[in-house]
Amino acid sequence: MAISPRGPKATVTTPANQQHILFVDDEANFLDTIRALFAAWSKNAWQIECATSADQALEILKTRSFDLVVVDVNMPVLDGEQLLRILARRYPDLKKAVITGHATEQRRSACLANGAELFIEKPRSMEGLKSVFTMIEELVTWKQQAGFQGMLRRVGLQDVIQMECLGRNSSILEVADRKLNGRIYIEDGRIIHAVVGEMKGEAAFQKLLALPGGSFELQHFEPPGEQTIQGQWEFLLMEAARVRDESTPEAAPATEPVVAPEPPPVVETPAGPPGFFPRVAEMLICSGKGEPLYQWQCADAKTRVALMVEITQQARRAGQLLALGKFDRLEIQLPAGRAVAQIKPDRMVFVQVATETKTPDRIP
Amino acid sequence: MNNSIEQWFASCGVMPGILGCGVRHPDGTCVSQRFHDSCSRERLDQALQSLGDSLSSFATHGLAPRWLTWTFEQGQLRLVLHPDGRMLALAIQPDTPAAENLDLLTEEFLTLNFAA
Repeated sequence: MAISPRGPKATVTTPANQQHILFVDDEANFLDTIRALFAAWSKNAWQIECATSADQALEILKTRSFDLVVVDVNMPVLDGEQLLRILARRYPDLKKAVITGHATEQRRSACLANGAELFIEKPRSMEGLKSVFTMIEELVTWKQQAGFQGMLRRVGLQDVIQMECLGRNSSILEVADRKLNGRIYIEDGRIIHAVVGEMKGEAAFQKLLALPGGSFELQHFEPPGEQTIQGQWEFLLMEAARVRDESTPEAAPATEPVVAPEPPPVVETPAGPPGFFPRVAEMLICSGKGEPLYQWQCADAKTRVALMVEITQQARRAGQLLALGKFDRLEIQLPAGRAVAQIKPDRMVFVQVATETKTPDRIP
Repeated sequence: MNNSIEQWFASCGVMPGILGCGVRHPDGTCVSQRFHDSCSRERLDQALQSLGDSLSSFATHGLAPRWLTWTFEQGQLRLVLHPDGRMLALAIQPDTPAAENLDLLTEEFLTLNFAA
């Protein structure tokens, strides 16, 4: 069902399964291609509107309802990021995606922080266009899962690994795309093994993290036959980010979209010692500016952000006094569990894990 | 200096990787011991006072820490709250025996009887 914008609009009567999508891009040729191909591939289930500027898009949105708006980042006058901010304010329930010819990790973070559910690199081939079509189709038909408060789409594979490691959980992440299947083993918050095809160890881990798209699922932990990874998870993720950045077209031309979303993960409490189960009690991921990107059972995100700001200030002072260098994270041992606050220039994460003496419940 | 603290500080000194340690008493006074040139007693006292003062903010946020571990690029700072109100700060280097035994050192401090 189309989401109604708050502003005045004309009534549009359409079949129930029809999706209304607005593409905003200053490249008219690209819009023509998208309109023709996507309408055909969707068997006309997509009602596609196009706007060649942010202003035009805002005018169209005043009069029509849409399920999704797909925005180009580089546009004159009002660019994609500015448009996203306006859309987030005026139409908070409207799904938003970004498509760009210049995908960088920084831009991705900014767009997701400004309300985009999906960040895609502009395709350079027919196969790439098909991938984009699939991703948009998935997004436009995706319904939020009960128990999760929005924005789950913005949580990617890297975020889930970070959460598992910060929570000192044990789990297996099964990662797959159309061609590859792999597994990442996390034990007590340490990445201990990864395998994809014949490849093992850090190389396999980096390969899985560099996949342009696909899906992943969290599974109960079972010890792998071998341990092939020793490094600290923070460095492994940083290296993965570096490898992914270097594989973007700005560094080396690619023919496939580089950044793709992962579907919502199925999160289950991993198995632990009998009668002693860690349970994620609260989780909050924010942008570097403190804007919540993902939250789960976080009663008051603003208060948590304020706490993380205080922690940052305290850490800065202590780090300077004792010459300990850059701050990474604070772990807080609580009477019945622990909390971890990790503060990076582009991200703040707060996870609280409670330890319980009962059978673990499945997290919704 | 309290004998228990003195003895415990001395035992810390044999653990490679400890930069320095200090205890803040309930009355606000501090005692500290440096084991590495990078960690002066004065600065350790300042860090201890500063972090000790900030502990109340965790309570404001509904958190009651037993201990806290601040992880930096070049070390960790463990802050431990003794049931009697004393607070320990341990500055350690990463990937050292001290880092590996941080929980053990914490448990030791928590079992110290300062009245003895």
